[in-house]
Amino acid sequence: MDQRKQSRTVRVDNRAGLHARAALLIAKLAREHEVALAVVKDSQAAEASNMIQVLSLGARQGDELVLEASGPRAEEALDALERLFAERFHEEDEDGKSPG
Amino acid sequence: MKFADFISPEAIRAELTADDKEGVIREMVQALLEAGRIRQDQVESIVRAILNREELGSTGIGRGVAVPHTKHASVADLVGAVGVSSEGVDFNSLDGERVFVFFLLISPPDRPGDHLRALENISRQLRNDTFCRFLRQSRTAEEIRQLLDEVDNNQLLP
Repeated sequence: MDQRKQSRTVRVDNRAGLHARAALLIAKLAREHEVALAVVKDSQAAEASNMIQVLSLGARQGDELVLEASGPRAEEALDALERLFAERFHEEDEDGKSPG
Repeated sequence: MKFADFISPEAIRAELTADDKEGVIREMVQALLEAGRIRQDQVESIVRAILNREELGSTGIGRGVAVPHTKHASVADLVGAVGVSSEGVDFNSLDGERVFVFFLLISPPDRPGDHLRALENISRQLRNDTFCRFLRQSRTAEEIRQLLDEVDNNQLLP
């Protein structure tokens, strides 16, 4: 088991930034993977499972964030989270309906 | 962004009476109508839009707080209301807890930045235990107004 902290850098690509629904998707993913997962902006770290902490980062389109995880399923959790960012939190699917 | 930039002082309700999600949203949209921030003929459309947004995933963000919201073309600026329910309401929050404090936001469709900054401000303040506790214990609109004012002026101790 690898307990070392692993990290990835991602960019917020979706137009609305890390809004409420994005924070919900991140929190659900963190809870499903049962892994210590953090989203870091500049030096401020938010627990991925905590929507209030993630929203308080105020991450906008274009911002770079570091995703950190440790534990046996860290790699898998980071893969899934990275994919969520790359897919822009499925925002385009409902463009015009809601800011999230 | 400060609370004063988007919360209408006349749209603060300390004693929400509704006991379900739709009822609370209606009460708070009504508060914005009475505060003169939205038009009567838009009320139903706004309520529907907020409920549709909730269908995509609850805006219950934890700590007994929810941020129901929508974009709506009828508003020129971001408008917001605050409500407190002493009994709490089941809002399908991720943490499974009832919601006691509501920040309802309506933003112009092409200004996602303002909406995000309002969410950021609300969330930053919610990290403060004192703020959460005082807000939830507020029993009059005036108490809530004063609390938001203190937070805006950095007068609330952590």
